[in-house]
Amino acid sequence: MDSLSVIVNGISMGAIYGLIALGLTLIFGIMKIINFAHGALLMLSMMCSYWTWKYTGINPYLLIIMIAPVMFVIGYSTERFFIKPVLDAQKDVREPIAVLLLTAAFAIVLENLSLMLFGADYVMAKTTVTDATIAFGGVTLSAARFYALIIALVISGGFYLFLQYTELGRKLRSCGQDRNTASLMGIDVPKTFAIAFGIGTALLAVAAITLLPFYYVHPTVGNVFMTKAFIVVVLGGLGSVPGALLGGIIIGLIESIGAQYMTATLTTVIVYAIFLLILFIKPSGLFGSRLEW
Amino acid sequence: MSNALLEVNELTINFGGLIAVNQLDMKVNTGEAVGLIGPNGAGKTSAFNLISGVYKPTHGQVFFDGENITGLTPYQVNRKGIGRTFQVVKPFGSMTVLENVMVGGFVHTSKRSKSREIAMQVIEQVDLKRKINSLAKNLTLSDRKRLEVAKALATQPKLLLLDEVLAGLNPTEIEEAVKMIKSINKSGISILMIEHVLQATMAICSHIVVLDYGKKIAEGTPQEVTSNPEVIKAYLGDDYEAVNN
Amino acid sequence: MDAVKTKKISLIVLFLVIGFIIPQFVTKPYYLHVITMCLLWAYLASSWNLFCGFAGQLSLGHGVFTAVGAYVAVMLFNDYNISPWIGMFAGAGAAVLLSILIGYPTFKLRGAYYALATVAIGSGVVVLIENTQALGPFRVGGAEGLIVKLMGNAPAFFQFMSKQPYYYIALVMLIIVVLFAFWLKNSRLGYYLSALKEDPEAAEALGINVRNAKLVAAAYSAFFTAIGGVYYAMLIRYLEPNAIAGPMMSNEMVFLAVVGGSGTVLGPVVGGITLHAISEVIQFYFGDLAQGLHLFIYGLIVVFMIMFKPQGIIEILQKYYNRFLGITDRGEDEKSVKRTAGS
Ligand SMILES: Nc1ncnc2c1ncn2[C@@H]1O[C@H](COP(=O)(O)OP(=O)(O)OP(=O)(O)O)[C@@H](O)[C@H]1O
Ligand SMILES: [Mg+2]
Repeated sequence: MDSLSVIVNGISMGAIYGLIALGLTLIFGIMKIINFAHGALLMLSMMCSYWTWKYTGINPYLLIIMIAPVMFVIGYSTERFFIKPVLDAQKDVREPIAVLLLTAAFAIVLENLSLMLFGADYVMAKTTVTDATIAFGGVTLSAARFYALIIALVISGGFYLFLQYTELGRKLRSCGQDRNTASLMGIDVPKTFAIAFGIGTALLAVAAITLLPFYYVHPTVGNVFMTKAFIVVVLGGLGSVPGALLGGIIIGLIESIGAQYMTATLTTVIVYAIFLLILFIKPSGLFGSRLEW
Repeated sequence: MSNALLEVNELTINFGGLIAVNQLDMKVNTGEAVGLIGPNGAGKTSAFNLISGVYKPTHGQVFFDGENITGLTPYQVNRKGIGRTFQVVKPFGSMTVLENVMVGGFVHTSKRSKSREIAMQVIEQVDLKRKINSLAKNLTLSDRKRLEVAKALATQPKLLLLDEVLAGLNPTEIEEAVKMIKSINKSGISILMIEHVLQATMAICSHIVVLDYGKKIAEGTPQEVTSNPEVIKAYLGDDYEAVNN
Repeated sequence: MDAVKTKKISLIVLFLVIGFIIPQFVTKPYYLHVITMCLLWAYLASSWNLFCGFAGQLSLGHGVFTAVGAYVAVMLFNDYNISPWIGMFAGAGAAVLLSILIGYPTFKLRGAYYALATVAIGSGVVVLIENTQALGPFRVGGAEGLIVKLMGNAPAFFQFMSKQPYYYIALVMLIIVVLFAFWLKNSRLGYYLSALKEDPEAAEALGINVRNAKLVAAAYSAFFTAIGGVYYAMLIRYLEPNAIAGPMMSNEMVFLAVVGGSGTVLGPVVGGITLHAISEVIQFYFGDLAQGLHLFIYGLIVVFMIMFKPQGIIEILQKYYNRFLGITDRGEDEKSVKRTAGS
């Protein structure tokens, strides 16, 4: 591949990483919880989308309208019925690790549930998009990746504007900054938390659908993306929305450029090393605000 | 000079443009009780954080017992012999009062029995014996403040920094606490205390330093300070408010 | 007062006796193996707890230490014929060094950041092992893993034909780690850890070198965890990078400790034994029914346990224990008991 294609490919994959990390960073920024079920919820979104596509044949991109609300409800209920009780019980604990473990256990439940329901096969939604390519300015890119890039950019940008300029967005942010003050100002904090978790999960549905035409689905597919999402959010600054997208693109670029010169393993190790370096030198991330942590 | 236990010279800290403590000179002599007063946001707590090593000064030095301790970390400062309390109390909530104080007691011994002995003695001194096995998170505010003092005392300091240990207490509790601080001072521990309750400060301290906007605006005996017009202007107005609250 | 003491001692003796006579009654190797695994997991959860539970640090990368311990001991054994009995201390030593190397930069990270750093380190180490075929003269085996050289019945080389010796070794290891945890909890360092777990700033103001306290505790934890890794290697006789270093290993320790009651001396033991036993039972009954069913149930059990008892099973046991001892008032005794068994 010529170098321009390598770069564009990296950016498109990176934008998807960013999209996945968006929900993680939102949930952390507002609830101060690392959601270890994030990867599993991505997998669930992919599974639901795949099987809906398989049985209805609806264009995967149109599925967003169906799957995103479903995932929102799943995320919202998860927070309401599982996470909230534990958060409440651990109110005066400084580091509520029980909540993190709850999400990790939840991931096990989801992974094995889909193993039971959908089996362990690797499946992919092969549509007309899968093999199509798009050429512009001398760069050839697979159509699926191109659409993924566009969707990721639009959703991230839209989400940023939503957080900045809407009533709900402001409520969400105020809970993230100081939940006690927010509560004093009359914001229903528990409800806002549930909404945040719901939105974070719904964003995964979008990411899932962008991946669907060119990525295999199986019950453990979430793990790969979750570790990357962790790296992305720390790189971009936990809780920072633009940071998630930029962090994702950086990782995507390192991977695609690295792939030209070395083995995938070495690239992975380099990504981990960069991650740790950032964590040690600037834990607030490259683009996170200093006050955030 | 010879009997100055703590001496700070030109102590300054700058928080991105805001000079919280500005060229502060002051000292505490051995055995003395000194008050540090000033309106809200004057920089009192910041001065404590500079002395106790939580912040590194932008400029200036801290001398303790004739030794330059500027820039040491908080635990090193404690080991030199400076104990401190926090304005927002920091009890170890799920440990008992005894265990809380024993944490401090362990600084000079690795023996449990010895640390327990130190703790028991200190707990008696601050009159917390009745709550010795209660979890710290279940204490009343007044007892939490006592616990805060007890933890610091258990590290057997030569100088005790008290940050508003009387704030939020009712008049009877204040009276008791004043007695307690006086007795601590009498037992040979020098005291530097931040306080808004002026009568109490005057009852305990022989010397008072007044801060306003990070700068020392006056110092002297309680009488001198309270009759200083600049202090009245900067501080006493606020104080009446504080008392009324 | 003395009656309480007698009751305590008789309870301890009872458990020890049960522990030592179990192999007389459980003779089927499969069952004894299952019980042995319960003890091993209780041991690993307790080792994790020494630092992470006591100091309130969520390490999700302790598999790194089981792996280092296991690989060092097995490589020394396979390639240089050094007995794992000796090799395990080399492995534990390497784990201690590694814990300091990791701890030095990571301990200044706050809760969530520390957890993420450990996840990344854990995943990184798995990738590294999977792609290392040899390390100098030692065979590492890469992704295929490393088979432990077979010696037949060779007690001097940590290999036995029957399951019984493995059971007793695991039991003794568990007893040692519990005694150590008990000692640690009641030592100066134990008090320091409890304090810095709640408020590092306040701890620092009381003269505690927070980073050093964490480093020492983490080193103890790495030491015991690595020995557990060596045991695991000798029991299973095969090292698979993902199984010994991966998230399964790392997370399992944490689940067991937290479900039992992290930060307490006996919580991880209770959690390790009960939860692992439950998981074996459901695997036995549901394992063949549908792929993933038993893990699904296992996950649900963990979810509900954390939901309804976030402080751990030990909290329930504590109540019965106090009732057994005849302690009802919230007096001196309850607290002294709490520090030893629970709290
Ligand atoms: N870490 C910090 N970063 C930035 N600004 C700070 C910091 N700590 C204190 N300040 C600022 O420095 C000023 C002095 O604060 P400080 O807490 O020392 O006042 P104080 O005299 O103790 O007030 P109070 O009586 O309310 O306790 C305040 O304006 C405060 O906002
Ligand atoms: Mg103050």
